Amino acid sequence: MRHFTFVATVISIFILAICTTQVLAQEARFAIPLPLTGTNAKFGEIEKKSYEIAMEEINAAGGIKGRKIALEFEDSQGKPEISRSIAEKLIDVKKQPVIFGEYSSSSSKAIAAVAEERKVPYLVVTGATDDITQQNYKYVFRMNPTNAYYAVGLLSLFKEVVKPKSIAILYESSDFGTSGAEDMAKQSEKFGMKVLVKEQYEKGAVDFRPILSKVKAARPDVIYMVSYVMDAALLMRQIKELRIDANLYAGGAAGFAIPEFIQNAKEASELVMTATLWSPQIKYPGAVEYAEKYKKRHGDYPSYHGAEAYSALFVMKDVLTRAKAWAPDDIRVAMKATSMMTAFGPIKFEDKEGYTNQNFMDTLVMQVIKGKHETIWPQKYASAKYVYPIPKWRERN
Amino acid sequence: MAAQVELFLQTLIAGFLLGGLYALIGLGMALIMGVMRIINLAHGDLMMVAMYLAYWLFTLLGVDPYISVFVVVPLLFLFGCALQKFLITPVMKVESILPHNQVILTVGMAMVLSNLATVFFTGNYRSTPVNYASNAWYLTDYWKNAPIELSLSMPWSLSFLCAFIITVALWFFLTKTDTGKSIRATAQDVDAATLMGVNTNRMRMLTFGIGSALVACAGCLFIPIYYLYPALGKQFTNIGFVITVLGGMGSTEGAIIGGMILGIFESMTATYVGMGWAPLGRFAIFVAALVFVPGGVASLIRRKRLGR
Repeated sequence: MRHFTFVATVISIFILAICTTQVLAQEARFAIPLPLTGTNAKFGEIEKKSYEIAMEEINAAGGIKGRKIALEFEDSQGKPEISRSIAEKLIDVKKQPVIFGEYSSSSSKAIAAVAEERKVPYLVVTGATDDITQQNYKYVFRMNPTNAYYAVGLLSLFKEVVKPKSIAILYESSDFGTSGAEDMAKQSEKFGMKVLVKEQYEKGAVDFRPILSKVKAARPDVIYMVSYVMDAALLMRQIKELRIDANLYAGGAAGFAIPEFIQNAKEASELVMTATLWSPQIKYPGAVEYAEKYKKRHGDYPSYHGAEAYSALFVMKDVLTRAKAWAPDDIRVAMKATSMMTAFGPIKFEDKEGYTNQNFMDTLVMQVIKGKHETIWPQKYASAKYVYPIPKWRERN
Repeated sequence: MAAQVELFLQTLIAGFLLGGLYALIGLGMALIMGVMRIINLAHGDLMMVAMYLAYWLFTLLGVDPYISVFVVVPLLFLFGCALQKFLITPVMKVESILPHNQVILTVGMAMVLSNLATVFFTGNYRSTPVNYASNAWYLTDYWKNAPIELSLSMPWSLSFLCAFIITVALWFFLTKTDTGKSIRATAQDVDAATLMGVNTNRMRMLTFGIGSALVACAGCLFIPIYYLYPALGKQFTNIGFVITVLGGMGSTEGAIIGGMILGIFESMTATYVGMGWAPLGRFAIFVAALVFVPGGVASLIRRKRLGR
């Protein structure tokens, strides 16, 4: 009897396997490397949910060339070496003709090297470090603007509205913080702003009053901070408490651009500006719909990472529709010719300023107005008029 | 000139307030060190547990973190006692090649606690956004024409005051009560204390409970001004460890002075050297204390008392 059960199980597994492979033939299967565990898991999760929303929408509209998309997610744990081996597996074993995904810069960099070596196109979705697209890779394309461009929108606001003469830069001593601060310092000098204070701090610092007192004594026009989630709120709270009156408080994306910042800093967050790549109210086609759908399903607005992941699948759909055949080289040619509008913004891969296959786009400035993030710059995308000059702390209540 | 004076005084205030909170973290660790002769490397993680309790009390029931002290501290006291009774005491009896396997046990406890927190509460950062978080008192509000502006943060001062009250209460407990005296006796000489009829095992359990309660207190005082995530413990274990060494391995007075020194030193480094250097400065002071004053602050106090 036991013998019979065993044989039956084996046979049914076989039948099941045959059935699935037949179904698979009509599906376009893609595996996406993402950090689903580990310290970057939060972002991996946002991206995964966004890919899923995009997949449903594309499939509901008939898929790609009549084939339904089926996505799988491979956990890279945020470790570049694991991302690398996932990419190798996808190319060598699964023969996937194109790769896209990953969250962090270092993981994206690891996959880019493999993709270039095996001549398989790779679309970098969220990695921001400048040098990924500076290595003359033919097969690597990037949607995300590079780190050096994050503050472009903010600088144009400086030029046209604030006209500051001096700046203080505070940043976290991580890759992201350091490169953001270096870029800002370079831009400031070009702009004619004097960098009065440039200080780094260790993540997890409790008390910023000492360096903030130093900033206060230096009296800068602008205070620019590059920080993650909680430090951003602590910094603004302590700036309010010490009544440091600068003309402008500005954050370099990340910790300043998420809703948690307002919840934690409360009234100290009011009128703080931040550079960002995307916002849930932005007037790109489909952006608001995506943001609302995400919120309805998962309870919170997505960050720009989610919008990028969501749009990445639409870019892939566009590319695969145009590609002559689903082979790496044809896909590369189609990718290069991409010029489309997505919920994340216009996507076009250009070679300029030392970058290859890099997407250049407007970066935005948001300001907290009446406890809500509003897009204020560039004015063509603005959801509210900027508030400037901002009142002194003493005069606020 | 005025700006420089303002900078110096503001830094000093910041260092003083931070030092008070550091002292409270160090105090519990020093007490445990003194009585049990082990460094409790789960100290910061016990603080993390307390902070999660305070966080949930705030988020679900709206209990102010300062009020939640009265709930969280007794809970952590019981938790500490249980840890000592069911985990550490049995390990003390085990013969092993490693002389300090209780220390290793505390490392294990730290890992279990922080991983459990990750499993149950995810790795997200959390905080209790209280309304008074950035309230402060200003010098110019009280003295209209003051040449300099100084501010004193309300929640930080409140936390400092609580830390002070708790420290005084602990001092009374240790010097004036019978149980307190028994704990000190256990710290000085376990065999003699046993011969005098002190139930040293019970004292150890109480000590671990009190140590946990102290750091739970620190957690409740920290959460309105800081934030919370599962891996937060390590950072505060480090701070507690440095303070314990600086204060003189298990001396409670030493821990208080050590905490203040560390707080002021860190703030001064942040202002005059650079904030990125503050963690390095912390370990410089740690090594310097081990090399130059191996007995810590406590040995200096003792030397003065003995007139040598």
